[in-house]
Amino acid sequence: MKPATQRHLKPIVSARDVVNRFGTQKVHDGISLDVLRGEVLGIAGGSGSGKSVLLKTLAGLHRPDSGEVLVGDKPVDALGPAEKASLFGVLFQQGALFSSLSVAQNVMLPMREHTDLPPEEQERLTAMKLALAGLPADAGVKLPAELSGGMVKRAAFARALALDPRILFLDEPTSDLDPLTAGGIDALIAQLNRSLGITVVIVTHDLTTLFTVCSRLAVLVDKKITVGTLDKLMRSDQPWIHDFLHGPRAQGAMSARKHNHGNG
Amino acid sequence: MRVGRSTPPTGQVASTFAVSGEGDRLALEGVLDIHTLPEAQRSLRQALKQRKKGALDLANLSGLDTPGALFLCGLGDKGVAFTGVRAEHKALLDLVCGLELKPLPKPKSVPRWRQFIIGLGRGADEAWHDTGDVITFIGRAASAVGNVLIHPRSLRLPAISRQIEETGVNALPIIGLMAVMISIVIGYQGVAQLRPYGGEDFTINLVAVSMLREMGVLITAIMVAGRSGSAFAAEIGVMKARDEIDALNVMGMNPMALLVVPRVIGLVITLPLLTFFSDVMGLVGGAVISQVQLGVSPVQYVDRVHHALDASDLFVGLFKAPVFGFLIAVIGCMHGLRVRGSADSVGRETTRAVVKTIFVVIVLDALFSILFEKLGL
Repeated sequence: MKPATQRHLKPIVSARDVVNRFGTQKVHDGISLDVLRGEVLGIAGGSGSGKSVLLKTLAGLHRPDSGEVLVGDKPVDALGPAEKASLFGVLFQQGALFSSLSVAQNVMLPMREHTDLPPEEQERLTAMKLALAGLPADAGVKLPAELSGGMVKRAAFARALALDPRILFLDEPTSDLDPLTAGGIDALIAQLNRSLGITVVIVTHDLTTLFTVCSRLAVLVDKKITVGTLDKLMRSDQPWIHDFLHGPRAQGAMSARKHNHGNG
Repeated sequence: MRVGRSTPPTGQVASTFAVSGEGDRLALEGVLDIHTLPEAQRSLRQALKQRKKGALDLANLSGLDTPGALFLCGLGDKGVAFTGVRAEHKALLDLVCGLELKPLPKPKSVPRWRQFIIGLGRGADEAWHDTGDVITFIGRAASAVGNVLIHPRSLRLPAISRQIEETGVNALPIIGLMAVMISIVIGYQGVAQLRPYGGEDFTINLVAVSMLREMGVLITAIMVAGRSGSAFAAEIGVMKARDEIDALNVMGMNPMALLVVPRVIGLVITLPLLTFFSDVMGLVGGAVISQVQLGVSPVQYVDRVHHALDASDLFVGLFKAPVFGFLIAVIGCMHGLRVRGSADSVGRETTRAVVKTIFVVIVLDALFSILFEKLGL
């Protein structure tokens, strides 16, 4: 399961000298990051290092205190709502499914808003998105409150994919899931990247996800970011990155990577 | 035939789609995505209508997304062959065509009239169970309060004083304002209705008696139900939704004693005080209206009020206040503890708490009116 790496080396989203501050505390101090077209970029870092804030900044949901985020050559703030909807899909940590709508209605909502497709066509597409995200068709009539944790993530995936976005932002896609379900989500991400050519940005603590799915890693340490391939970061002498990538948990994730790559 | 799209997403080819070629060989050009799909369906259906089996050349298709791939898979199932498929489209087509698609199940539709009858039955059943729940919870709360009063050492004075500040002191401005406004409304109506009979002076009696006996306590109770009853339901509801109530139970602390009792005691103390404040402000409003409409000076007004009022008028009003306070707090807390699971349940229970407390306050007030009438107070 090799990620479709560096299909095009052009950045699709780039952050330029982003500074984020909460009160007097700086979270990001001049971060520059290029997300390349077609890659799977993993963003890692300790708790409270501002990973989720960085993701929100990249997706244009949080305005940085200084610096800017460019999509292509346009600032992210200048994108119109329809354009943004067809470019970005975001999977929020808790799913953020609308609790009063059924799963199918959740997925259909962006289609209804941004396309002129007839309702029966929208339903066909919704059934396809649910199948793509690995949900059975009868999950469509359920309310989000009736779903298990793994199904919530899959339903949120289906909604994020509703308009076939070019970039998928995933905030902790495998947190709170059992290892088997998490493995299924990892495989889903890799497949979407490979088959749909979607660019994926993942914020995660999950070393297995980082090691098996991501083509590059960005590690947030001390308000700064270090970007590189896994092999390059493995040789980093920055203490946090070294401990993070060589700790006992990393060994297990490493063997998962070897296992995966061995099986092609 | 070309379909344009206003804003091409950054870095992408503009979304246009076209069918070209003749005879058995058709070629697709441009982008086949969710936006060009309706046009593509129309034009391809027409072009393919004449022939049973055709071939589609996809070499010039620059963009394809999942809805487009799904459409092509549908054509493929009908016997259309694809030529010149690009590598990146091949993977997408393989993925989408490989999905096992079932139509979304339709929710069962129930006729309107049956929904109405089901709703009626369900509502009646819920109301019946609700009444039982309220009575049970009133009993539990009363027993918890009684328990605390028997063992005063377990009385949580800091919690009670915080509740008094939040539900009482902070409510003073709004309740004072409401009382003045209501007495002005009553005063204006009184003057207008009594003037034809030459009895406009009795407006003072009207304002003073109705404020003290009824309006003061009613306005205060409704305001507090909206302000504090909802707050109790929301505060406790959020704790319940976040498992904080279970955490208290596990640590051997009784949520009833810890959360409900201070709120109940607080409101039972607060509401009579607020009612008294509201009475005073109502009389101040009456003084204003007497000066403006009747030309009665404040000094004369006090004298008139003194004659118009009986001590029982004040006590009838104040007697009701702790009863209302107890019920508002109990119903608010009950709905907070009823929250199940998610956050939208907190909103629903808060709404119910407010509606139910105001309903109970008004019904009880009517019952009290009849009772005091019979008692001759």
